[in-house]
Amino acid sequence: MTASFDAIVIGAGANGLVAAHYLARAGKRVVVVEQHQVVDHSADIGWVPPRVIRDLGLSQLRLEQPDPWLTVPLDGGSTLELSRDMGRSVEAIRRISPADAAKWPEFSRRMRTLAGVLEKLYLAPPPDIETRDPRELARIGGLGLYVRRLGKQAVIDLARILPMAIAELLDDWFESDALKGALGALGIWHLKQGPRSGGTAFNFLHHHAGSPAGVFRPVRSNLTQALEGMKRVEVRRGNRATVLAKNGRATGVVLEKSGETILAPLVVSSAPPRATLDPIAIELDPEFARAVRNIKERAVVARGTLTLDRAPSPSYANLCIAPSLDYLERAYDDAKYGRDSAAPYVEVQRFNGNRLELHVQFVPPGRHEGLAERVAQALNVRSDQVQLQAAEASLYHGELTLDQILFMRPVPGWSRYRTPIQGLYLCGSGTHPGGGIPGAAGRNAAAAIA
Amino acid sequence: MKGGGERYDAIVIGGGHNGLITAAYLARAGKSVLVLERRPRVGGAAVTEEIFPGFKFTMFSYVVSLLRPEIIRDLDLPRHGLHILPLESTVTPMENGDYLAAWGDHDETRRELYRHSPRDAEAYDEYGRLMHFMAQAVKPILSMVPPDPTSFSPGDLAGLLKLGKHFRGLGGERLHALVKLMTMSSADFLDEWFETDVLKATKSASGIIGTFLGPRSPGTAYVLLHHYMGELDGVFRAWGFAKGGTGAVSESIASAARAFGAEIRCDAGVAKVLVRNGRASGVVLENGDELEASIVVSSLDPRRTFLQLLDSKELPDEFVSDIRRFKFRGSSGKVNIALDSLPSFTCMPGIGRQHRGAFSISPSLDYVERAYDDAKYGEFSRRPYMDIVFPSMIDPGMAPPGKHVMSIFVQYAPYKLNGGWTDAKREAFGDAVVNTVESFAPGFKAKILHRQVITPLDIERITGLSEGNIFAGELALHQLFFLRPAPGWAKFATPVRNFYQCGSGTHPGGGIMGASGRLAALRILKDGR
Repeated sequence: MTASFDAIVIGAGANGLVAAHYLARAGKRVVVVEQHQVVDHSADIGWVPPRVIRDLGLSQLRLEQPDPWLTVPLDGGSTLELSRDMGRSVEAIRRISPADAAKWPEFSRRMRTLAGVLEKLYLAPPPDIETRDPRELARIGGLGLYVRRLGKQAVIDLARILPMAIAELLDDWFESDALKGALGALGIWHLKQGPRSGGTAFNFLHHHAGSPAGVFRPVRSNLTQALEGMKRVEVRRGNRATVLAKNGRATGVVLEKSGETILAPLVVSSAPPRATLDPIAIELDPEFARAVRNIKERAVVARGTLTLDRAPSPSYANLCIAPSLDYLERAYDDAKYGRDSAAPYVEVQRFNGNRLELHVQFVPPGRHEGLAERVAQALNVRSDQVQLQAAEASLYHGELTLDQILFMRPVPGWSRYRTPIQGLYLCGSGTHPGGGIPGAAGRNAAAAIA
Repeated sequence: MKGGGERYDAIVIGGGHNGLITAAYLARAGKSVLVLERRPRVGGAAVTEEIFPGFKFTMFSYVVSLLRPEIIRDLDLPRHGLHILPLESTVTPMENGDYLAAWGDHDETRRELYRHSPRDAEAYDEYGRLMHFMAQAVKPILSMVPPDPTSFSPGDLAGLLKLGKHFRGLGGERLHALVKLMTMSSADFLDEWFETDVLKATKSASGIIGTFLGPRSPGTAYVLLHHYMGELDGVFRAWGFAKGGTGAVSESIASAARAFGAEIRCDAGVAKVLVRNGRASGVVLENGDELEASIVVSSLDPRRTFLQLLDSKELPDEFVSDIRRFKFRGSSGKVNIALDSLPSFTCMPGIGRQHRGAFSISPSLDYVERAYDDAKYGEFSRRPYMDIVFPSMIDPGMAPPGKHVMSIFVQYAPYKLNGGWTDAKREAFGDAVVNTVESFAPGFKAKILHRQVITPLDIERITGLSEGNIFAGELALHQLFFLRPAPGWAKFATPVRNFYQCGSGTHPGGGIMGASGRLAALRILKDGR
C-alpha cells in the first residue's frame, strides 16, 4: 500500500502523459505507471493538435517538418523529391509525368478539405448517433452544416472517397507508379490491408490530418519526451500494471513485478483496450467482453533503426521504398497468408539530423527470418546496419478500418472513453481518434472524465 | 422520316428483366409502351438457350431469389408462367475428403455443423437471426428513391431525415451491426461469429459474387447481406431455380407486360437516343428507323446508356467524367456443361439428394483468397471458386432423358486478362475449371458431352453488359445509393429531360431483383402526373 492518488494513468506514451497532465491541471493527484524502464526516445509520428500544445504549455515541443518531405528513388538512379512548396512539387512531378503534375494542386486541395473535416471530428468525442440529448444533436447538426458549407464537391468526396481503396482513388487521378506507390503507402500505414482494399483512402486522409495541402506524411515530434521532461506528474517505470476491479468498480492497479497495489478511484488506461479489459473480463457483460475480444489489432509493422557509416547521399529526410501500388499489394499478399513480405514496404525517417528510424510493413507475428536482409537489400546497405523490432500487435491498439473508427472505436457504443467498469477509462490509441494523432485521445478522454 | 411516324408514350431500351419490369409497370398505368431488344429474344442476362441439341441452359444468371416479392405480386407473374423450384442444399467438398453441408432441414444442418464445431452450431442460429433482421432493416432502403445529401430541396432533406430516423430506430446493437456489414470484409465479419474455416469460406463466397474483391477485402460483407435479401415466398435466403431456367422469369415478365398492352420488339437494337433542345424525343434504331416517344428509358448499364446512346455534348462534363469513372471490372465466368451422367464427388460418393442442391467449391478462405490473388494481377484463377448446380435434377425438361446439364458459375476471370482474352485463353480457363472439378469428383471429365465457356468478354459481347459485370456496375460502397450511378443522378432521371435510366446500374442494382426497374417506373409515373 502506498500513498493514495486521485487517478492512476497506465502507460507513459503520448496519450497517457497528455491525459495525466490534463488531469493534473484539473487539480488531481496523478501517478503514471509505465511498464518500460527506459524512456522511449523514438519520435512521435502524427499531428499534435495545437490545442494540446497550448493547453499544456509544451514549450519544449519540437515539430519536425522536413522539406522535401519525401524522397522516392526512381529507376535509373534519380529521385522524385516532394516539397512543401506546391510549385516545386509540381516541377518535380512534371519530370516523371506532366499529366500528374497538372493534377497535383487540385488533388492536394481536395484532400486537404477532407482532412480538415477529420481534424474537426478528432478534437472531440465521436458523434453519438444514438443520442437524444439536444446538445449532442445540435453538435451533430452543426457538424453536418459545417460539411455542407464546404460545398457540394466536399459532400460527394466525403461519401465517395472514405470507403474507397486508396489504389482506386489514386488511379482516378494519377498515372505514375512511383507517385502512386509513395502516396498509396500512407493509405496502408498500420493496416492489415493492401492498397486495393476499401477504406484505405480513409486511412490515407487520417494520416494527412494536420499537414498542409500537398504534404502526405505526418509531422514528427518529440511529444512524449517533452511531456516526460515537464515533471508535473510522477511517472513510475519498470512495472506492468493490471487494473483492479470489484463489483463493477475500478479500485486501483496492481504492479506485476513488485506485487504492489496502488489504490485510486480513477484508473485511466492508455494501454490497448483488449489488454486493459481482458484481465477483468469476469467483471464485464459477456456481450461487451465479446466485442472487446473482436477488436482487430493485427500486427503488421516492424520499427527499427538504420545505422549508416556516413550521412546518406544524396541526403533525404524521409525515404520511401514503395515503387508501385502493385508492389504494396504483393507485400500485403504475403501477410494474408501469415508470411513477412518478400519485398517489404520500407520507409526511413530521419530525426534530429542524423537518427534514422525504420518503418517496415508487412510483418505479421511469427519468425522473421531474413527480414533484416531483405530490408537491407531494399535500402542498399549491409544487413548488420538494420535493427528491427517486430510488433506483436497493432501499434495503433486497433486497426483504423472503417468498422473501428468514430463511434465504433474501441468497441461499438463505447466510444466515449468510459467503460462498463465505473471509474475505469480508456485514453490510448485504441480509442477515438486512434493512432497517428498523438495526444488527441488523451485530451478527449481527460475532458470526458472532468 | 423512316419507320412510319410511330409514336409511343414511352420507349424502353433493352429487354432485360429491369427493362421489362419498367415497361410492365408503365403499361399497367395505361401508357403506350414499346420495348426494344437488340437480341432475338428478351431476357438480357436472364435467358435460357438450347446451346446443344436437347440441352437447355440458363446462359448467365442461374438462380433466382432476389426478385422483389411486390413485383411478383403486382405483375401477377405466377399466372404468366413463373414457377420457382427450391434449391435445397449446399455441399462444400473439402480438400481432406470431408465436406460441409447445409440442408433444407434446419436441424440436420445444425447436426452437420456440430460435427465440425459445437461452438459454430450454437452461433449459427444467432447469426441467422441477425442477418434476417439486418436484411429486413435494409429492405425499406431498397424500395426507396435515394435522397441526395448535397441538395437543399425540401424533398431531399425530408428523405435524409426519414433515413436518419429509420437507422436510429434500429437501436444501438443493430445499428452497429449494420455499420460493420457496410464496411467490413466478409472474412473479418464471419471471424467474429465462427471458427470453422470451411464454413467461413462457403459463407464468404456469397460476399464475392460479382465483385472484383476477395473474401478479405472490406466491402464484401455488404454483398453478403445483399444476397441475404433473397426472399422466396417470404422465406429469407431461399434460393431457387425458375422452371425453364431464368429465361422463363424474363418470359413471364414479358408476358405480363404484353398483357398490360406493352409491345416488345426483338432484333431491334437502338443506335442513339434522339435529343432535341435538351429533351429526349425518341430513338434511332441500328437499321436507321426512327421512333418517337414522349419519354425514353434505358435499361442498359450506365456506360452504354450515357456514353454510347447519347452524345457527350448533351451531358454536363462533370457527369460524363463521373460515368467514365464508374467501375465495372467483370470478374465472373460461366461454364455450361452437357453431361452423359452425373458426376460423383469424393466427399459424398454416389448420386443422391446432394445433386439437387449446389456444390460450392470453396474449401477454405485461403483457397478463395488465392483465387482472387490470381485475378488481381490479371490472370484467371488457376483453382477458381465455383458454384455448381445441376438444373436438370430439379427441372428434368432442361436435358434429354437420362442426361444432365451442369451450370458452373466461376470466379475469378478478370475482364482485363493479361494479354487479352483469346480463344486459346478461353479454353485454358475452361480447362482450369474442369480440372478443378475433376480433383473433387474424379471421373467427371469422362462424362462431359459438350462444354461452353463464357468469359466476361463473352458476357459483354452477348448481353452488352460493360466489361461483363453481372451487376451492371460493381456493388462497391462508393457506387451505391445516392452515388449509383453518379452523385446527384441516382433518382432515375438523367441530365437529359424525358430520358430515364432503369437498369441494375441504378439504385439498388444487382441480381435478378427488379427493384431498379420498378422504382424507375414509379418515378416516371410520378413525374408525368
